[in-house]
Amino acid sequence: MAKSASAAVAPAAPMPPIRGGKPAAIALEPGVRRWALLAGASCLLPLLLQLPPSIAAVIAVVGIGVGALSWRRAQPALLRLVLVIALVGTVLVLARFSFGRDTGCALLAAMFAIKPAETYTLRDARSLIGFALFGPFATFLLDQGPLSLALGLAASVFALVSLQRLAELDGVAAPGQPRAPAPPARQQLWSVARLIGIGLPLALAVFWLFPRLAAPLWGVPDRALARPGLSDRMSPGEMVDLMNDETVTLRARFNGDAPPTSQMYWRGPVLWHFDGRSWTQAGWFRGLPPPAFQPSATVWDYELEVEPTDDRQFVALDLPLNTPDGSRLSHDYGLYARRPLAALSRWHLRSSPPRKFELDLPAPLRRAALELPVGYNPRTLALAAQWRREAGGDDAAIVKRALDMYHRQFAYTLATPLLGRHSVDEFLFEQKAGYCEHFSSSFVVLMRAAGVPARVVTGYAGGYYNPVGGYWLVRRSDAHAWAEAWLPGRGWTRVDPTAAVAPERIYDTLADRTPGAGGLFGGIGAVTPLFNLGDWARRGWNDFVLGFDASRQERLLQPLGVDRLDGPRLIGLFVLFASLAGAWMVWLSSRGERQRDPVLRAWHALGRRYRRLGLERAPHEPALAWAERVGKARPDLGVALLRLSQTFSDWRYAGSQAGRREARELRNELVRALRAHRPGRTGEPR
Amino acid sequence: MHAWTRPRRPETLPVQFDRRRIYVLPTGFGAFYGALLGAMVLGALNYNNNPAFLLALLLGGAGLASLIAAQLQLSGLRVIAVDAEPVPAGSAMRVRVHVRAAPDRLRRGLQVDDGIAREIEPARLDLDHGVGEAELHIATHRRGWLDLPKLRVSTTRPLGLARAWSHLWPEAPLLVYPAPEAHGPPLPVGGGDQTVTRVHPSGDDVHHLRGYRPGDARRAIAWKHSARRDMLLVREYEQPLGADVELEWQRLHGLQHEARIARLARWIDEAERDGCRYRLSLPGHPALGPGNGAAHRHACLRALALLPHG
Repeated sequence: MAKSASAAVAPAAPMPPIRGGKPAAIALEPGVRRWALLAGASCLLPLLLQLPPSIAAVIAVVGIGVGALSWRRAQPALLRLVLVIALVGTVLVLARFSFGRDTGCALLAAMFAIKPAETYTLRDARSLIGFALFGPFATFLLDQGPLSLALGLAASVFALVSLQRLAELDGVAAPGQPRAPAPPARQQLWSVARLIGIGLPLALAVFWLFPRLAAPLWGVPDRALARPGLSDRMSPGEMVDLMNDETVTLRARFNGDAPPTSQMYWRGPVLWHFDGRSWTQAGWFRGLPPPAFQPSATVWDYELEVEPTDDRQFVALDLPLNTPDGSRLSHDYGLYARRPLAALSRWHLRSSPPRKFELDLPAPLRRAALELPVGYNPRTLALAAQWRREAGGDDAAIVKRALDMYHRQFAYTLATPLLGRHSVDEFLFEQKAGYCEHFSSSFVVLMRAAGVPARVVTGYAGGYYNPVGGYWLVRRSDAHAWAEAWLPGRGWTRVDPTAAVAPERIYDTLADRTPGAGGLFGGIGAVTPLFNLGDWARRGWNDFVLGFDASRQERLLQPLGVDRLDGPRLIGLFVLFASLAGAWMVWLSSRGERQRDPVLRAWHALGRRYRRLGLERAPHEPALAWAERVGKARPDLGVALLRLSQTFSDWRYAGSQAGRREARELRNELVRALRAHRPGRTGEPR
Repeated sequence: MHAWTRPRRPETLPVQFDRRRIYVLPTGFGAFYGALLGAMVLGALNYNNNPAFLLALLLGGAGLASLIAAQLQLSGLRVIAVDAEPVPAGSAMRVRVHVRAAPDRLRRGLQVDDGIAREIEPARLDLDHGVGEAELHIATHRRGWLDLPKLRVSTTRPLGLARAWSHLWPEAPLLVYPAPEAHGPPLPVGGGDQTVTRVHPSGDDVHHLRGYRPGDARRAIAWKHSARRDMLLVREYEQPLGADVELEWQRLHGLQHEARIARLARWIDEAERDGCRYRLSLPGHPALGPGNGAAHRHACLRALALLPHG
């Protein structure tokens, strides 16, 4: 035990460097960095899916390129700056310099894509993850579909797992200190899921009770690059894209009777003006108050749930009797929301088919309803003039004659060539086949040429009844165009020339009407129940989550007899439930992690049961020694416990020859036996 | 902050961390995360976008749960003892902090340091089956009882959003020996009878011969004897061990107070190395020894370390 003097002088261990001031930047290990980058990418993915494909492709390519380039070493700041400028420029050019929600999101995505080039320290990685969490958020602003929700949620979980990996680096930067190997991915996922699960009650309580804004603080910016919806412009031959889109656009639940499918005309934009090629909405008189109409005895009372679009205009069965809050009616009974319908909205409406609609047509409107572009479609004009001569003053006869002509000579098809300058002439005299846009457009031109005021109406026709949920749904593919002709004594009268040619087009919307290019659910009978169920679930989600707003919140406690939740009550309820949920969270967390092995769990519980008797097993005590000790103090329990302990230690420590299934049965039996053993204070165990 | 938090004075061990002394505050990143969620909530409310709102709330809920989880990492932790081998002043002392906890919860990756002072390197503390220890390297500057700084046991797990910490100010008797003098005069020659000897590879008196063992020096081989016996034999010598050495404070006049202590500390080490028995006499102290061995050395160095600072 001799120790040399020189060794005693030298420090026993090399003196660790003493850190002063701020901690040094903690470098990322490649594995952790990979996790962070992947989490960032997963947050970016749902956002990219919502952006226009060209922009998304550019961002994805740049993101992958930057990620690969900076996989091993940092890129110079100059290169990063150039990249930023180039990418932002490209995105802006692709978005045609129009600014809106989607352009903002695209720029955000572009910034994410370049971020890997400067992600080398713990701090960088954390800011990457922090900003990446905006990805799912931005996605939800653009789209609330199930795919976005699933991807966004998965990405958030991934981001949290990555944060957890990063937290393991905290504070153990000292060189030479071994770091414990990262726990397996499943365990990490589990612990994050546990955190989310524990936070869930609070999140839900806040979600239902946090006071909502009745009116937004600032406006909702539109999408700069709108998706195709019902446009206020119709050029025959262009609606085909819409006809193949099976996306649900609205759902309606009727209180009382629903109209027959043949009467389900969801009336949208009314088009007055024809320039020889396209129909557009009315001009100056759009803002006039809507004229009176005489409703018929039939009244439909229904709740409309409109999927988000970026327009203000939505549709109603013709004609709406009321103007719901937050909307207004245009002169031709178009319904406009006060705000863009960026989120799911619901409207309570009453409609009635008109008996008489604008009986007195003012002269300027009459002129507008007869206006035709000069120098187009000479053959049509000649035919109409001939009809007018033959019919005399009977406008209804002209309408009937036109419908007869369509019925006898025309065919319904979606495959139409693009028409030339005299588009109506070509359609009426040569092609004789087309779809609703051609029929309605040519019909209105014919009528106007014959001196019958007429206009084109677009919207949706028909609907699909979902028996699971008891509601109707209308898809984009139900888009339709028809006509309204003004007849003396009746006013505006709906005329659907397409129905004269292809009634099934309107009455039977589930039929596969585009052979070869059939929609997702068209004509596939076997999938229908599944689809019904899925859409019902979707509607429930809409009902429960997406459509929840200030007015629904006010009525939250209606089933419990509280008529309206005013501000103070709501806040009180919010505070109460949030604190309850918080207490629940604390309880959930402090329960600790359960022992995974059921046998060990039962064994520990058994040990604790002896605490009352003062014979609890000490942590260091072997099973058999403990049983012997208990046996000395309580001979009545000793034998049973000794046998249990023996079985337990055999199970735990002795090798087993049993097969897998047998082993499981043995284990279950042991667990049952361990659970059944309950020491009484005196006498025999129960 | 450091001064406000408990404990406010050193405390005796064991110490159990409970909610009264565990503090949780968001880290910088946690504040950033909170601001981020705030922005999300505001945006989602403005656009009445419920999925976005729910996402922000879920992230917030997970964040809050992580705060609780961080607190629970520390809650119930019991610091049983703090110990360390004494070291000469000037070298780092390896202080081990022993902790226990109920084995029901996984506690890994805790960190022990001295908080914002950052004078000692943070050490890792993992608990396996409820038992664990952290080893700190604490610099020592002067002999005597080591004043342990206020230690901080902390964690930012699971998500790095908040740091839960608890301060620990153990009143632990950790001794720092005086630093031995670097260069100095040799050990004084001892007196008394030289009966104690030990076998030594070099020395004056041949003690006996023994068989060669690998590693023996070549010049220790007794070639003549080996040739005669037809095997390699090695000489072993006997070294007379120095007689008992008297290490007396009073004899070192002319030296400063601390320099005397340093010289005595060096002589103690030299005497130990040479295997001499030594006796240490200090003022106001009964003489220690004579003796040698770890216990005696410790007693002597301890007496030196605890001399009043002059």
